[in-house]
Amino acid sequence: MNRKILFFILPVFLTFFLTACFDSKEVDEKAYVVALGFDKGENNFLKMTLQIAIPSKIASGEGGGEPGAGTAITTVETPTLYAGLNMINTYISKEIDLSHCKVVVFSKELAQEGIHKYIHAMVRGREFRGSMYVAVALESAEEYIQNVTPTLEANPAKYFEMNFNSYQYTGFTGDTKLTNFYLLEECSCRQAYATLVGVNKYEKSHEFDNNNSTYKERGRDRPLEGDFYAGQIPKVYDIKAEVMGIAAFDGGKMVGQFDGQDALYHSMLYGTYQSSHISVPDPKQPENFILLDVKQSRKPSHHVEMVNNAPVNSAEIKLEADILSIQSGINYESKENIPILEKTAEDFLEKGILKFLEKTRPMHADLCGFGRDLKMKYLLWEDWGKVQWLKKYAQSKFNVKVELKIRRPGLMVKTAPAKSSEGDVMD
Amino acid sequence: MKNKITFGSFEAICITITLITTQLFLNLPRSMMEAAWTAGWLLTVYITVLALILFLVIERLYRPFEGKDLLDLGEYIAGNTGRIIVGLIFIFFFLYINPVILREFCENIKIIALPESPLSFVMLFFITCMIIAAYAGLESIVRFSAIIVPLIAGGYIIIITGALRYCDVSRITPWLGNGPYEIFIKGMPRISVFVGIILVYFLYPFIRKKSLFKTVGYRSIILSGIFFFTGVLVFALVYQYPTGTENFLPIYQLSRLVDYGRFFQRVESMFVIIWVASALLHLSINLFLIPYVFKKTFKLKYYKPLILPFAIIVYALAFFPENLTSTIELEKHFRNFAWLVTFLLPIILLSIAGFVKPVEKKGAGKSE
Repeated sequence: MNRKILFFILPVFLTFFLTACFDSKEVDEKAYVVALGFDKGENNFLKMTLQIAIPSKIASGEGGGEPGAGTAITTVETPTLYAGLNMINTYISKEIDLSHCKVVVFSKELAQEGIHKYIHAMVRGREFRGSMYVAVALESAEEYIQNVTPTLEANPAKYFEMNFNSYQYTGFTGDTKLTNFYLLEECSCRQAYATLVGVNKYEKSHEFDNNNSTYKERGRDRPLEGDFYAGQIPKVYDIKAEVMGIAAFDGGKMVGQFDGQDALYHSMLYGTYQSSHISVPDPKQPENFILLDVKQSRKPSHHVEMVNNAPVNSAEIKLEADILSIQSGINYESKENIPILEKTAEDFLEKGILKFLEKTRPMHADLCGFGRDLKMKYLLWEDWGKVQWLKKYAQSKFNVKVELKIRRPGLMVKTAPAKSSEGDVMD
Repeated sequence: MKNKITFGSFEAICITITLITTQLFLNLPRSMMEAAWTAGWLLTVYITVLALILFLVIERLYRPFEGKDLLDLGEYIAGNTGRIIVGLIFIFFFLYINPVILREFCENIKIIALPESPLSFVMLFFITCMIIAAYAGLESIVRFSAIIVPLIAGGYIIIITGALRYCDVSRITPWLGNGPYEIFIKGMPRISVFVGIILVYFLYPFIRKKSLFKTVGYRSIILSGIFFFTGVLVFALVYQYPTGTENFLPIYQLSRLVDYGRFFQRVESMFVIIWVASALLHLSINLFLIPYVFKKTFKLKYYKPLILPFAIIVYALAFFPENLTSTIELEKHFRNFAWLVTFLLPIILLSIAGFVKPVEKKGAGKSE
């Protein structure tokens, strides 16, 4: 009898609990932010910009393929991050949701003042994901977000994901996910870095100039592909927004910036380098280039020794490469010439890496994790604390050894000259 | 002293592991890091070895008292008075920790999954399930744990392996953290993390073969030690000291990191399921033990009528802490002293029982 009563009572009881969660929200009741930008406010502490996805337009392709049609952008001046969200929630119809935010951009000005408190607010927040990228806009975060108008990708979230992941095949930025940034920022043996972003000013290709390139600092007579900061690449394209280079931090404050080439060296030293195309001056005809498709063959090894209370940091980088192009036509594919090419590439990279490391020294920015290797030699935290690594890093000396092996010549095993009326032409 | 209910070692191990390792899903990795800094994993190994040694002592001392639980031992030593004293100690013990754990779990659920639901509402779900489980009885809880624990273990392994890509060995260096004294001397009371082994003393009358007491105890400690070690180690390899000490719900934080491509990510939803399952088992067995011990202490005929009143008391007590921080503090105090009841009390009782003649029984309590 009791069981029969229970049999009838149970469904009634269950009706109260099967009506979904108390605080459930439908997907179409939320406004999903894909990018978040922070600038220094003019009348308040912060200027916050949100790029919000419009799922219906993304799904239907509405907007006629117009770049950026799948998003809405809003900017608000606010005292804090969450206060800003509250303010925005008063004038948009849906509730802001940050669980699909892919990138957070800080203006350089704000980053130089320190972003630790904002990073902490995000790490504490349930909605923010550790997989979103941290970036620094060389000018304004608002301007950068406004200029993200993807053409090849309808889904803005996917655009950010893929664009910020491009370091895997260019090496010109880095793995600057929020989790990485947060962990590095609080580490006693390394410093954090963020992707540099910017907005390109060129409207027509005849406006291109190299004034903003870093090639002169590097002693070159023309820029190589990585000798630019974000926003300064000589290019004309629908999307004005760019990623190129990294920003260095010391204790949550931005202390310096590095161009794409330095970001490449950083990733080689840090171990996040995967592959990229690298142009190396021809050893016999320096006005020509040899193009290599370089890959990391082993993780870099670091070694730190304290000599007279100053660190001597050594790094060994192991790479392998395939030949993509030999402009001079000299037969570097031959067994005799391969070592010459390897040595040239090694020297070229070693020189660049040493220059990069020298630049990090006055910034106290151990971006490559030399301190990590020193820390592993200690038994007690107390002893490690006395080293004051991040302070001592400024006295560092560096030794770098690059080992590059040419593995494959591409689809050609040698270069034959073109025949002209004046004889053989190799250029 | 024949029991109607008996079960094998697998079921007993599953429920004991649940009772011991639930802390792993709360704050154990963080508290180990707070205690030993970068050497939290070493502290885990140390306390597991200590727990094994102490259990070895208890198991040896227990041999002449096969099939008796701690209340029976209290009665053996000092008659009704002994039984009531031991019983009251355990009733207060469970009545202290059960509301604290209930509150902690519900607060955590509010933070990570149901931010807008009132605490009382979330807690109502838990307490309802606990009451149903306690009414269903020990056998149902234990047999259910034998089904659910392998699933919990599977989910845990996915989370731990998923977070491996973020590991960096340098994060657990300097190897000895804040020093051997802090780890090996001041870290000793941390053995309280094995407080769940207390269940084995109460399960003794229910275990099918009495020789299994030993097997259940050792295996539960070793397996829990492995879970603790892997959780603390992987957490420390991902979140260096002192960053890791900032993190609330360390294993949840690890689950949030799991991200393999565009399809395998956001596995924290799996964490919520295994976490709630393990919490429910933990809280249910704790709620069952309160009326059960009460009944046995005062030689009552039935324990079931006591379930609802004790559930209401647990529910009400859970609201006593002002906030989550106070709840965590209360749990910390408990963990500092729980080893006294878990390891010291049985050793004292068994040592005394070894020397004294049993007090004449006047209808000694029977295990259900």
